[in-house]
Amino acid sequence: MARVLSGLKYLAGKDIAGRNLRCRPDDTFIVSYPKSGNTWLRFLIANLLRPQAPVTFLEADRLIPSVDGRSRKYFQQMPVPRVIKSHYPFESAYERVIYIVRDPRDVAVSQYHYQIKRRILDEHHPIEEFVSRFATGNVCPYGSWGENVGTWMAARLHHPGFLWLRYEDLIAHTEMELQRIASYLNVEATPELLGETIARSSADRMRTLERQQAGEWASTKGTRKDRLFVRTASSGGWKAELPEISVAAIESVWAPLIRWLGYDCASSLKRTHPSEHLFETVLQQRAL
Amino acid sequence: MIYGLKTAINYLLGADRAERNFAVRTDDTFVVSYPRSGNTWTRFLIANLVYPQQDITFANIERLIPDTSSQSNRALKRTPSPRIIKTHQYFDHRYPRVIYIVRDPRDVVLSYYDFQRKYRQIQDGYPLEQYVDDFVYGRINSRDWGTWGENVSSWIATRSASETFLLLRYEDMVSDTTNELSRVARFLGVSADRDRLEKVVEGCSADRMRELEQHQSQEWIATKNRRQDIPFVRVAKSGGWKTMLPTVSVANIESAWGPVMKTVGYELTAISFKEPAAV
Repeated sequence: MARVLSGLKYLAGKDIAGRNLRCRPDDTFIVSYPKSGNTWLRFLIANLLRPQAPVTFLEADRLIPSVDGRSRKYFQQMPVPRVIKSHYPFESAYERVIYIVRDPRDVAVSQYHYQIKRRILDEHHPIEEFVSRFATGNVCPYGSWGENVGTWMAARLHHPGFLWLRYEDLIAHTEMELQRIASYLNVEATPELLGETIARSSADRMRTLERQQAGEWASTKGTRKDRLFVRTASSGGWKAELPEISVAAIESVWAPLIRWLGYDCASSLKRTHPSEHLFETVLQQRAL
Repeated sequence: MIYGLKTAINYLLGADRAERNFAVRTDDTFVVSYPRSGNTWTRFLIANLVYPQQDITFANIERLIPDTSSQSNRALKRTPSPRIIKTHQYFDHRYPRVIYIVRDPRDVVLSYYDFQRKYRQIQDGYPLEQYVDDFVYGRINSRDWGTWGENVSSWIATRSASETFLLLRYEDMVSDTTNELSRVARFLGVSADRDRLEKVVEGCSADRMRELEQHQSQEWIATKNRRQDIPFVRVAKSGGWKTMLPTVSVANIESAWGPVMKTVGYELTAISFKEPAAV
């Protein structure tokens, strides 16, 4: 019966494309685990590709729609080449992918605050409890952080259509990273265009826009207004916010991947399982 | 429009294919592999192990261990729990327990070549070197399952350290079937002594599978209406690539997937890779 309904919803344009999206080889997907800087990246790319006027949340959502936010009809009617946002773990049909990764300890803190904003968690909810579920992948429908990052890295690291970025580098060297994105997208980026794009996507500007559009944007509609979607826009906040036990919970499952991505591990490192070695081997695909 | 109607009608007729669109249950076990990696043989071994009172054939295997790419949503829904389900999907975080079979890609490609001829997807004289290139760069029909490297590494990188994941190598299964089957039995929580395991192995020998295929090829969805002059159960051996695969094709495969191949224990012959730094 569910399929009949989905067929009817499709006819009415009320379905969600999701995994049933018909991908094209010239599509570019902006992929990340939730709360890894995807929205900021979307703003940067939307402002880069459409420099005529600064984009707003609603426009960014229209120009770079989410696979889980629009119907198949919407995607069919988009002009090509399309740029599409997704949070999925590895999808073989995505040929061109910009993957943004963020330190999982900051991701956990950010997801925790977002769940409070969405009233999924009470604001006094112990963060330790949330993080223990985060570490086992029981907080969102896109797998665990390690599964999401790990499948993309292992499957696509050396694929010519794969560009991966770290949120931390995007913060520290925004212009340099944006330049990489521009060349990947074949956009001729003058210093003026890069500067304007960055200014139009600054955290302050995004916060101002959020205040104006929170009631209309899908990701903030109906959520608590006393907490912002655009939070600190910084890295390393976990060092002050995350209890030691939660840091350890995250590092004990993903230490090899965390280190491989170039993030420091605070707690003492001990291999939890001998076959973690496999993981590192798969990821170290460096040919001589 | 057409798509929506087709989806609805196919579902009503039970003509849809479950693939990634069905509800996974917490007590499901998945038998996963890239195509042509020994999945059908493993499926027969497991069915004989788990359902000893039944005579396992190509005529009832789809009911006992349904295949997500040939069975409908409804067929999967009707399969009683705890289900054992066969699939070729790359990583899917919903699968609670996974038996993953990996086979040397240099053999997989040869098997796939014959399989696609059987399915009339390529002509008999299709150049093998070109086919290997298609295989490496994801231009063959298995696109939905990713390439061999994507499929294998997506599972290994995420689940190899987990107790809910059992990695089998086709080559080990060929060389010591009983021992590998005992690992499967332990994983599934089936107690079986050596006698019983050996009986199961005997009942699933390549000869017996070929005999079943000869009698039942029109009763099994995977072989029905396909070319009958090319068998589904092929050599049932490992290492055929050493004599059959051109060196340039070996190098093509090894340069694409060398590190993953080494991770699962396949020696490279055409190129060399740096070992990962000791940690």
